[in-house]
Amino acid sequence: MAIKTKDFVSYSDALKAFSSGLKEPEWMLEMRLSALEQIDKLELPVIERLRYNRWPLWQVPNLTGAPAAKTVDPFEFVDDKADAARVIQTGNDTVIETLPESLKEKGVIFTDLHTALREHPDLVKEAYMAKAIKPESNKITAFHAAFMNSGLFLYVPKNLEIEEPLEAIFIQNSLVEDAFVKHVLIYADTHSNFSYVEKFLTKGDEKNAANIAVEVITKPGAQVKFSAVDQLGENSTVYFNRKGYTHRDSSIDWALGVMNTGNVVCDFDTDLVGEGSATDLKAVGISSGRQTQVIDSNVVNYGNNTEGNIFQHGVILDRATLTFNGIGHIVKGAKGADAQQESRVLMLSDKARGDANPILLIQENEVTAGHAASVGRVDPEEMYYLMSRGIEQSEAERLVIRGFLGKVISAIPMKSMRDDLVQTIERKLTSR
Amino acid sequence: MAVLEIKNLHVSIEDKEILKGVDLKMQTGEIHAIMGPNGTGKSTLSAAIMGHPSYEVTEGEVLLDGENVLEMEVDERARAGLFLAVQYPSEIAGITNAEFMRAAINSRREEDDKMGVMDFITKLDEKMAVLDMPEEMAERYLNEGFSGGEKKRNEILQLMMIEPTFAILDEIDSGLDIDALQVVSTGVNAMRGEGFGSLIITHYQRLLNYITPDVVHIMMDGRVVKTGGAELAKQLEAEGYKGLMEELGLDIEIEED
Repeated sequence: MAIKTKDFVSYSDALKAFSSGLKEPEWMLEMRLSALEQIDKLELPVIERLRYNRWPLWQVPNLTGAPAAKTVDPFEFVDDKADAARVIQTGNDTVIETLPESLKEKGVIFTDLHTALREHPDLVKEAYMAKAIKPESNKITAFHAAFMNSGLFLYVPKNLEIEEPLEAIFIQNSLVEDAFVKHVLIYADTHSNFSYVEKFLTKGDEKNAANIAVEVITKPGAQVKFSAVDQLGENSTVYFNRKGYTHRDSSIDWALGVMNTGNVVCDFDTDLVGEGSATDLKAVGISSGRQTQVIDSNVVNYGNNTEGNIFQHGVILDRATLTFNGIGHIVKGAKGADAQQESRVLMLSDKARGDANPILLIQENEVTAGHAASVGRVDPEEMYYLMSRGIEQSEAERLVIRGFLGKVISAIPMKSMRDDLVQTIERKLTSR
Repeated sequence: MAVLEIKNLHVSIEDKEILKGVDLKMQTGEIHAIMGPNGTGKSTLSAAIMGHPSYEVTEGEVLLDGENVLEMEVDERARAGLFLAVQYPSEIAGITNAEFMRAAINSRREEDDKMGVMDFITKLDEKMAVLDMPEEMAERYLNEGFSGGEKKRNEILQLMMIEPTFAILDEIDSGLDIDALQVVSTGVNAMRGEGFGSLIITHYQRLLNYITPDVVHIMMDGRVVKTGGAELAKQLEAEGYKGLMEELGLDIEIEED
């Protein structure tokens, strides 16, 4: 799809009306309009081993503010749970929003992004596309900043530890034609400590684009455990950007299940800015059918003694493509930094295409770094061992694969989410 | 009563003939030991019976109650009643030991007769106690990070959980200290009975002090060269393989260790 400059700039008035209808603060509208002007000047982000300039990612969302002609029933996908910390959105609407009273009293904010922009504009402004993802970075982020049409804001105040994971479920409404430009903003204040789990799904078969941005900002000493299971639909073409930004001595642990069925770029980044901060990024993926998924994990060590760890395991079926890029980047001056990575791809079909591509960019001497990468098939010794106990070949293969993907499963703190990921994996493997 | 019969078995690995016509017959209720110098084909025999993909059977038969198991897939052989405990089992991350054993047990059962979690745990606890294994080993990933001794106990645990008709134990005693050896032997002796037969492959007589065999076979250069009772193992311990070779008038290069 060709991109024409005048197409985007011509949305300026519609954007103004959209922003005003949502009673957005002035700075938000300014950010939108400034980003709108830049979309055409900026380049697409470079994703190694992928050409996606022809992907239909540039669908402009419906800006009239009118409700969707068809709505999604969330209970088709989720159970009713009382008193959980939970936000569920279908399309652009927040349909369930619950937060235990005890957390509200302590100052936790867990709400629709539009609501947060009205009720806590200054707090949102501190973090929204200001630290992690910047509107002017590239064509994708500029498009996102201009056309963001719904989202979620989570703020956890200083020194607060939350035991139970906070949960968000986003169901893309593809019963109608509309772009899904979702933004999740997680702002972890100093020394807070919590887990967050999210799930992305699609209802319906309309061919829609999605430009999703998730930002996690950890202030000094904050610890965030972030888990996700992505299951966007076959007809959704997606650019999925998750990015962390760490202040001193804070950490973000990511456990990501990439289980979409359409073409998806997963751009998972963390900027380790503060001294002594760390990230552990674990991602597993399955590609099947004729889809392409590229998981591009990029950790940049800026601060001294920062630790970045990337672990990616994936399975490819049918005629699908799955590529892992692991980028460990230590900038000049980041003394004592550590960048480690492992990417492994298991091919279960002769027609599948897989790639594990480690990239280390090291500009400082006093550092440690390492990588491992492989593309291969199921180990025949392992298969023999399992089968020698009576387990049938298909079952043995399933067990080996589940084991191969197991590290992310065990890192997810919520049982329902773990079960969901296991079931999704089984479903993909048995549908061959 | 079940019968396992090996007839004129020839096996090659990468075109090199290792087994040159092995004959052996055993039945349930019996424990047989196979002894022999290193490199004589003992492990090849066990792997060929179980169906390891690297071993090629060029001639002969392995019959389980008259059925040729060589025509079966590996998993079919296991479900037909064969079990092989090995020295170096695969380590598989992501699958717990318990999950694996339950899958193995249930692979032998009909869809409407799968073993439930409670029955399974009761049985598992009981068998692990016999083998002096800590409970947490059930929830660890299959053999991952297990010590040599833990792996062998785990092989015997699987044997006790699966309860096969015939179990082949391939040098399960090597590298074990006396305590571990006793524990492993206790496990095997607990299996002893009318419905169970075992073929124990060992390099040393030591294990046979704990598990008394009914029949002892001596293998050299890819063949069974002598068969006798438990006293044959003792004689071998006293005289060594060299002495036996002289007695049998054999002229074979063997690896001493």
